[in-house]
Amino acid sequence: MIESNGAPKLLSVRGITKAFGTNRVLKSVALDLEQGEILALIGGNGAGKSTLMKIIMGIYQPDGGEITINGKITAMTKPSVALSSGIYMVPQEPMLFPNMTVEENITMGFKESQRELRNRLKNIMEDIGWKFDLGRKASSLSIAEQTLVEILRALLREAKVLILDEPTSALTFDEVESFFRVIEDLRKKGIGIIYITHRLAEVFEIATHVSIMCDGIITLHGPVVDFNREMLVKSLMPPNTEHVESKANECKIMDYEGKKPVFELQNFSGFGFNNISLKVYPGEILGVAGVVGAGRTELVSTIFGRDKVLGGHAVLDGADITGMKTKDILKAGINYVPEDRYLYGIYGISSVGSNMSSASLNDKSLGRFILNRKNEQSLAQTYIDNFRIKVTDQEQLMSSLSGGNQQKVVLGRSLSTKPKLVIMDEPTRGIDAAARGDIYTIIQKLRDEGVAILLVSSDMEEIIELADRAVCVFQGRINAELCKEEITQDKLTSASFGVVTEKEGAV
Amino acid sequence: MKTNFLKGLGAKLKTWEFALLMILVAEFVVFGAVNPKFLALNSLFSSVNNYISICIISLFVTFVMITGGIDIQASSIVGLTSIVIGVSWSDLGLNIWVCIILAIVVAAVCGAISGYFVAFCNVQPMVVTLGGSFLYSGIALLISTLSSTPAYMGIGGFPGKTAEGIYTSFRLLGKWKLFDMIPIQLLIYFGLVVICYILLHKSKYGRKVFLVGINRNTAELSGINSRLIIMSTYILTGIGAAIAGILLTANVDSAKSDLGSTFTLSIITAVVLGGTLSTGGKGSIIGTALASLVICIMRFGLPICFGVSTQNLDLPMGIMLVVIIAGRAITSRLKLSSGSVRKGRLVQKTH
Amino acid sequence: MKLKKMMGRTRWISSLVFLVALFLIVGSINSSFLTAESIISCLNNSVVYMLLAVGIAFVILCGEIDVSIGATMGLAAAMAGTMAQNGQSLGVMIVYALVLGIAVGVFNGIGVAILGIPSLIFTLGAGGILRGIVYLYSGGRTVENFAGSFTSLNNTTVFSGITWFFTLAFVIVIAVYFILTYTKRGKYFIAVGDNINGAILVGLPAKQTKIVAYIISGCFAAFAGIIFASKYGQVNIVAGSGYEMSAIAACVIGGISLTGGLGDVIGAMIGAVIMASITKILVFVGLSSDYNNTITGVMLITIVVVDALTQRRATESARRKRLAARSAPGASPQPLAEEVAI
Repeated sequence: MIESNGAPKLLSVRGITKAFGTNRVLKSVALDLEQGEILALIGGNGAGKSTLMKIIMGIYQPDGGEITINGKITAMTKPSVALSSGIYMVPQEPMLFPNMTVEENITMGFKESQRELRNRLKNIMEDIGWKFDLGRKASSLSIAEQTLVEILRALLREAKVLILDEPTSALTFDEVESFFRVIEDLRKKGIGIIYITHRLAEVFEIATHVSIMCDGIITLHGPVVDFNREMLVKSLMPPNTEHVESKANECKIMDYEGKKPVFELQNFSGFGFNNISLKVYPGEILGVAGVVGAGRTELVSTIFGRDKVLGGHAVLDGADITGMKTKDILKAGINYVPEDRYLYGIYGISSVGSNMSSASLNDKSLGRFILNRKNEQSLAQTYIDNFRIKVTDQEQLMSSLSGGNQQKVVLGRSLSTKPKLVIMDEPTRGIDAAARGDIYTIIQKLRDEGVAILLVSSDMEEIIELADRAVCVFQGRINAELCKEEITQDKLTSASFGVVTEKEGAV
Repeated sequence: MKTNFLKGLGAKLKTWEFALLMILVAEFVVFGAVNPKFLALNSLFSSVNNYISICIISLFVTFVMITGGIDIQASSIVGLTSIVIGVSWSDLGLNIWVCIILAIVVAAVCGAISGYFVAFCNVQPMVVTLGGSFLYSGIALLISTLSSTPAYMGIGGFPGKTAEGIYTSFRLLGKWKLFDMIPIQLLIYFGLVVICYILLHKSKYGRKVFLVGINRNTAELSGINSRLIIMSTYILTGIGAAIAGILLTANVDSAKSDLGSTFTLSIITAVVLGGTLSTGGKGSIIGTALASLVICIMRFGLPICFGVSTQNLDLPMGIMLVVIIAGRAITSRLKLSSGSVRKGRLVQKTH
Repeated sequence: MKLKKMMGRTRWISSLVFLVALFLIVGSINSSFLTAESIISCLNNSVVYMLLAVGIAFVILCGEIDVSIGATMGLAAAMAGTMAQNGQSLGVMIVYALVLGIAVGVFNGIGVAILGIPSLIFTLGAGGILRGIVYLYSGGRTVENFAGSFTSLNNTTVFSGITWFFTLAFVIVIAVYFILTYTKRGKYFIAVGDNINGAILVGLPAKQTKIVAYIISGCFAAFAGIIFASKYGQVNIVAGSGYEMSAIAACVIGGISLTGGLGDVIGAMIGAVIMASITKILVFVGLSSDYNNTITGVMLITIVVVDALTQRRATESARRKRLAARSAPGASPQPLAEEVAI
C-alpha cells in the first residue's frame, strides 16, 4: 500500500488478522482514518467490527498486521497504550463507575493533579458549550448522559481518534439529534471518528466516509457521497443471497369480516406507556412501530407480566389476564421473544434441547415430577427440523450457535407452549441476512397457521414486509394505526417521529 | 434406550468425574500400599462418622452453587439440629422421633430464612449465609443454655442402648450396621445420593435449578419462578445439614451446639472439586459425591498411612483445593487461547 | 438536606451514627457503660478486628473476598510468639510479619487476579494451607510463655488508658483513609470494584490493583497477629480461625458493599469497634455472652437486607420515574447535557 499523499494518516490499520481458535474473525483488514473524518463502519453481527475495534483499543491482540498512528507503527499491547496514542473507544454500553461522581469518572486514570484536571475539564465543557453537574453520581445518569460522559473522557484525554460503537442504539430520537450535533462539532475540531452503526440512515446523516465489513474483510470503502442506500444494502448482503424483499410483495389483504380479536388491550397503562388500546386478530401480524425508547418494549414486557400494570385491561380470548404472573400468562397462551437475546433469551451454557423445552417445564407433557426426556427430545426435534436449525445434535451448547440459529431456537421455544399470541420484540436484531429471511418465512408460516403475532420492530422495512396492520408508538402512546395498504416507509417514519398526531385509518 | 445409556456412560467417562474416580482409585492404591491396614474396610467404616456430614451436606450445597449461590451456614445448622434434638428430648420430654422431625423443621426454616433474603431481597448469598452462620450457631448456643446439662458436656443418654449393649430406637441411626459391617450412615448417604441425583438430573425441578443458574432472566421469561427455586435450594441444604446433625448425634450419643463447626472448608472443597461451577449453571451430584469421597479417604488415609496429625488435615485439603482449581484455570486458559471460544458480551454491573 | 447528601456519599457516617446510637442505648440501660473507662476498653479491644477489617476492606472494595486472613493472623501470631520466646524485638517481628503478609498476598493475588479463580474458593484453600503451616510451624503445640515485655506491650498506654496499639492502628487507618480517598492510586481499588471492565478500558492496572489489595490484606492480618499474640499471651494451632468472618462482618456493618466499589476504611474501623464491643455491651445490658453470635448474625443480616432493599427501591423508582417522564402527556423530550444546578 502506498499512501497517495505525503501526510501520514491519523490512523492506519493494515493486514490485521485475528482468529479465535478455528474461527477466523478478521481476515486481513485494512482501514484508514484522517483528521476530521467520520468513518461509518457498518456490517452484520459477527462481521468482526467489534473485534477490530478491540484490537485497535489494545483489548485483544491481533494475530498479524500492524497499526500505524500518525505514521508511527504502534504495538497496542494494552488499553493504556492505545489511550496514550490518542485513541478512545466509547463502548456500546457506557462503562462508567456507577458509585463515583461524574468528575471522578472522567478523571480516573490520569496522572495530573485533580485541580488541573478539573480546570481542563471545565475549559473543554465551556468550549463545546456543555454544562454538567460534575458532582452527580454516575448511577443517576441516563444512558444518553453516560455516553456524553464517555465523550468528555475522550476529550480530556485529547483523543485524536474516537471510536463510537453503536452510540445511538439506546438513545431516544431527540437525544440522537443533539448527539449528532456533538459529533459534528468534534469532527470540525479535527478529530477522526470511527462510527459503528447498524442504521443506514445515520450513515448518510453524519458520516463523511463509509466502510462495509463483511465476514472479516472490508468489502467496500469510500466517501459517503459516492454511494446511495441501495448500493450499501446490496454490499451488506452476503454474496449469492437473493434479495429478501423480492418475494414479499405479493401480500394478501386480510379479511376482518366477522372475525373476533384474540387479544385486546383496553386503555392499558404502565411504566413507560399510557392508555394503549389495540386488538390483534387470529392469523394476523400486528406491527408495532416506533423508535427505541418509545415505550414499546416496556409495553410488551408488561403484557407478559414482567412489570406492574397501572391501569386498563389485557384480554386474551375473552379472559382477563391483566396483572397475572408470567407463568400464568404463558399458560393462558401468550409467549414472548425478548429483544435482548443474550441477556433474556438464551441459556448460554445449556444444550439446545433444554433451551427449547424450558418454557414447557410447567406443562404436564414433560412429566409430572420426572422430566420426560423422550417428549423433550421430540419437542426440540420438531422445531429443529421445522426451522432448519443448524445443530450437530440437541446436546450442542447454545452459546456455540450463530445468532440466527440461536434466535430460531428462541422462536421454537416461544411456540412450544402452543400460544394463541406470540409477542416478538425485534426478532431479527443483529441477525445476518440469510437467517433473517428464514425467520420471516417462519413468522409468515405461523400467521398462516392462525397464530396472532405482535411484531415489535424499529426496522420499518420489516413492518412493511410482514405486518397486516400496524400501530405506531410515540412517547408511550399509540399515535397512528395503519392498515396493510397504508403501511409505507413514509407514514411509519412520520408517525414514529411524532409528525402525525391524529389517529389514521382505524380498523 | 440401553445403547443411549451406554453412549452417555461413555461420554461421561471422559469427563471430570472419571478423573475423580481415578484419583479415588489412586488413593486406595497408595494408601493401601503404605499401610495394608487401610484396606481393612472395618477401620474405614468405623471412622465414617468423622466424614459423613461433609459428604451429605456437600450434596445439597451443590444445588445452591448451581443456582449461582453459596452456603456457608450449613455447618452451623448441624450443631443447631443436634442441640434442638437434645433439648427437646431431655428437657421438654418429647418423643425422640418428634424431636427429629422438629429438628428437621427448624433446619428447613433456617434455610428458608436465608434463602428468602437471597432470592427475594437480592442480597449476596455469601453475606446472608455468613450472617446465618453467626445467627444459627448463636441460637444453638442459646438453646443449649435452656438445658439443665452444661453446654460443654453435651446432652447424652439418648434412647436406646440396652444393658447388653444392643442399640435400639434412635441410637440405631448412629450405630446400626448392615451385615454387622456397613454402617447405617453410609446406607443413608447412598440413599441420599440417589435421591439427589434423581432430583437434580432427572426431575423437572433439577432442570429448573440449572436454568436459573445459567440465566435467571431467561428463566423468568420461561415461566420459571426463579425466586422459589433459589430459596428451595437453601431449604434443601438446611435439611441436609439436619440429617447430618441427626446422624452425628445418634452416633456419639451427645447433643452439642458446636457440632460440625469446622466443616465449611471441606464442604466447599468437595463441591468445587466435584466440578460445580461457582458462578452457577454447571455441576453434578456424582461429581460432588466422588469428590467428597476423595476428600474423606484422604482425611482418613493420611493419618494412618503417613502419620499426618488429624489436627493438620487442613493443609492437604487446602493444597488439593488450590492445586485443582488452579490447574483447571490454567488448562481452560490454554484451551481459551487455542480452542474456539465465542466471547460473551461484556455486561455492565448494574448495582 | 446537606447531611443526608453527605451520608449518602460518605457511608461511614451512617455507621458512626449507628455506633453512637448503640452506645447511647446501652448507656441508657446501664449508665455505667458510658464512662470513659469502659468506652476506652471497647476501643482497646477492637485493635485486632480493626486491622483485619481495614486490611480486608481493600480486597472487598475491589469486589473480591479474602477468607485466608484468619489463618494468616494465626501464623503471624505463632511466629511472633516464638520470637518473643527467643527475646527478639518487636521490630524483627514486624519485618517477618511484613514478609509473611506480602507472600500470602502475592499468592492469593496470583490465584484470583491472574488465574481468575473465584476469590472465596481460592482464599479458602489458601487459608487451609496456612492453617496447616501453623501446625507444622508450632509442631502442633500451643506457643506460650512469652517474655513479659512482649505481653505487657498490649497494656502500654499512651494517655488516659488508650493503648499504644490502638493509637498506632488508629493513625494507620486514618492515614490509609486519606491515601485511599485523595490519591490517584487509592481510587483504583474502588474503581476496579465498581466496574472492572470500565477500569481496564480507561487503562487502570486492574490485576495489579487486586494483587496489591491482597498484599495489604495479608500484611494487616499479619500485624494483627503480632497484637493477637501480645494480647492473649498464647497462640494455639487454631488461633484466629473464625476471625475472617468477623472481619467481613465488621466491613459490612461499616457500610462496605460486598459487591465492591462502595464504602471506605473508616467504616471498616467503626464496624470493627462495634464487633469488638458486642461482648462488653452484652455484659452491661445483663445478657450472657452466649448472645454474641446471635446478635452479630441478626445485625449483619438486617444491615445487608435493609441496604439491598433501599438500593433496589432507589434504582427501581429512578427507572420508573424516567419511564413515566417519557410517556407523560405532553412530555417534552429531555435535552442532552442540561444544567442541573450545582
